[in-house]
Amino acid sequence: MTSPSSIKADKTLDCKGLACPMPIVKTKKAIEEMQSGQVIEVQATDKGSLADMQGWAKNTGHQYLGTVEEGDVLKHYLRKASPSEAKEENKFPHTISNDELQAKINANEKITILDVREPAEYAFQRVPGAKSIPLGELEERINELNTDEEIHVICRTGTRSDMACQLLAEKGFTKVKNVLPGMSGWTGATENNQ
Amino acid sequence: MATKVAIIASNGGLFDAYKVFNIATASAATDAEVAIFFTFEGLNLIHKQAYQQLPMPAGREHFAEGFKNANVPSIPELVDMAQQMGVKIIACQMTMDVMNLKREDFIEGIDVGGAVTFLDFAKDANISLTF
Repeated sequence: MTSPSSIKADKTLDCKGLACPMPIVKTKKAIEEMQSGQVIEVQATDKGSLADMQGWAKNTGHQYLGTVEEGDVLKHYLRKASPSEAKEENKFPHTISNDELQAKINANEKITILDVREPAEYAFQRVPGAKSIPLGELEERINELNTDEEIHVICRTGTRSDMACQLLAEKGFTKVKNVLPGMSGWTGATENNQ
Repeated sequence: MATKVAIIASNGGLFDAYKVFNIATASAATDAEVAIFFTFEGLNLIHKQAYQQLPMPAGREHFAEGFKNANVPSIPELVDMAQQMGVKIIACQMTMDVMNLKREDFIEGIDVGGAVTFLDFAKDANISLTF
């Protein structure tokens, strides 16, 4: 297990000591300069920022991942969404629904779940036992996986996992399934780093 | 379509200013389209000199220290941020005439208009607030 403080972010924003609405205003400006898919860590001491960040993410379409409290400092993690994220078409033909995957878990089948989201997303919420390889690292870490294994690939909405499935299929994996919709619709048990 | 927030600012104290500009900057930072109509004493909040030293309500002067301790941005700073994020500031022409105020008495980058200027923006606003 990694400790919460080791959650990986592409950018860190210091809003310590700032009052409302400054943490939100600064987060907006910082995220504008980031690439889609990148994760920002916002450090704030304003207690109201906890609810504000969640409300802000809900209204702007960016993804609120979670918050870690370290002493007086709240570390908020957010991921910049791309405009097309929710709309992109899924192309990989072999899919499995959240419910079907849940049924396999309930039946205690020995299955492999591969979570291709960013480490920060994985740290806050994941299907118990899921293995983490972010999409961007999949190619170089592909030898951590067995080509004959049945692999259930999951992300947040099915887009990144679709790309991961296609990559795995190209590399000779034959029993790969894309989990749809993924963590955004997951109602079963989860685990996290804390 | 973006959320629209329409605000009327009709009071001229420091507390009033924070209510108006905190909501306005937070809304703009959350991708809302914001317009504020400044009328009567609300004009103080965008007056070049007045907005630098807005009065505390009588008997509440002791809050000055609280503002300092909480590291709250100054009103000119908040106004600047609001404008940078596209908050539309409309000064009420009628009040300006009554109070004998000119456009150059106010901060840069404002619009001057009548009630209908604001109503035209507010007619399909999702949120309307009066301070």
